[in-house]
Amino acid sequence: MRDVFGEDPEVILAERRYDAIAKIMESAVRKKESKWTFTDMLDHVFLHKALGIPIFLTLLWAVFQFTFAFSEPFMVMVERFFGWLGGFAAEGIANPQLASFVADGICGGLGSVLVFVPPIFMLFLALAILEDSGYLSRAAFVMDRVMYRLGLHGRSFIPMISGFGCNIPAIMATRSIENEKDRMITILVNPLISCGARLPVYVLVGGALFGAAAGSAVFAMYVLGIALAILMALIFRRTLFKGKPAPFVLELPRYMMPKAKTALLHMWERGKEFLKRAGTIIFVVVILLWFLSVYPWAATNGGEIIENSYVAGLGKTIQPIFAPFGWDWTTTVAIIFGFLAKEVVVATYGLLLGVGEESVGDALVSMGIFTPLTGFAFMAFVLIYVPCVATIGAIWRETNSWKWPVFTMVYLTVLAFIVSGLIIGIGRLLGFT
Amino acid sequence: MVEKQLSDMRVGEKGKTARIEGSGALRRRIMDMGIVRGAEIEMVRDAPLGDPVEFLLKGYNLTLRREEAKTIWLEVED
Repeated sequence: MRDVFGEDPEVILAERRYDAIAKIMESAVRKKESKWTFTDMLDHVFLHKALGIPIFLTLLWAVFQFTFAFSEPFMVMVERFFGWLGGFAAEGIANPQLASFVADGICGGLGSVLVFVPPIFMLFLALAILEDSGYLSRAAFVMDRVMYRLGLHGRSFIPMISGFGCNIPAIMATRSIENEKDRMITILVNPLISCGARLPVYVLVGGALFGAAAGSAVFAMYVLGIALAILMALIFRRTLFKGKPAPFVLELPRYMMPKAKTALLHMWERGKEFLKRAGTIIFVVVILLWFLSVYPWAATNGGEIIENSYVAGLGKTIQPIFAPFGWDWTTTVAIIFGFLAKEVVVATYGLLLGVGEESVGDALVSMGIFTPLTGFAFMAFVLIYVPCVATIGAIWRETNSWKWPVFTMVYLTVLAFIVSGLIIGIGRLLGFT
Repeated sequence: MVEKQLSDMRVGEKGKTARIEGSGALRRRIMDMGIVRGAEIEMVRDAPLGDPVEFLLKGYNLTLRREEAKTIWLEVED
């Protein structure tokens, strides 16, 4: 074909195809001469030079407000329900080991996993509405410039930002990114975005140690997370996933009124993936952690004295690794439990220090667990090290291999040690203890 | 008539596609979207941050980065 036409076959094919289309259109379609359509009108505002970005940020804010404000009462309901179910089961079962297994292991474990279901479904619903309306492509159009500079694609922006709510739906939302490399980078750096579950830890430690400057300390964690995500994205782009982000060739579809049925269907299709996982791998890990925290049964007095448990032993064994940071074994145990879900760090300190959750902060100071410097390094460590088990599950499912979740855990742990080490080192140089 | 790169078009300017540079998947993708020789393209707007760029062709709106738009040459009325 090249010899006959003097052009690549694919060029000829495309041209002939569009010639044929044009002929059919001419004979079959009568054009209406209304130039100024509804879509044009909306785009004139939504993609406006000055208004485009403020409108995008406002819509994004609305999505988060919707997602997290709406899901909060449901999250409380899930927690209470499994707490109640656990208490009910514990009362009804005579054998204390079986009672603990059912109440704290199964019910507590299910509760700690299913509590993520409301925000996941709400975020997917909000994104489905945005997608069906036609705005999601415009969001990529508006943000592509920024993301391209960071070695990513415009479509990476929404998943990255969603990470502030919860990394799990954020990682699942990367499916809208067509290019495999772009998608992988977005998945791998997503755990560095501070999700909602990190906030209780920041508030606890920061509030206890920094007094009036607590807000700045918490804000510093968010900024640190974003900076590290950008840094790692640039590094991955230059090493593991070489090359440029995918070309940006994107049609802006017409605006449409989203249909409730389609939006709900989208939400369910994506959300059910999490439910499937929650029932398998995540649940197994949760049960394992329960086992480690209540056994040996006699020594812990049936899970009462966590200091004598396997997990405390494990914490004490690996504590020397963290000794240079000035962290004791309680912090090590908190780090181990943080794998379950980061907010569990708070409850773990409550158990280990023997105080209620509301006085954990005071106890951290009075019992000398942290100085401002070691506490700040700990906040950074909690931000960076291994994301929660459900996030690892999401990475496993989305990349369809064990390689990437393992890689994520390793690189994040190494990064956590480096950053916390730097904080401690620089802090000591500046005269802090 | 002058030849102009798609990336150099001003808002509202129209032209007829003359040729597409480059090769491989990107070129094919661009042509699959309907940018073939003779296709009329109108520049609609820049993104708020200046890149990518939105065009109107064959009655639908397509967006390309300037980098991709550079590979497309148009014939434009003086």
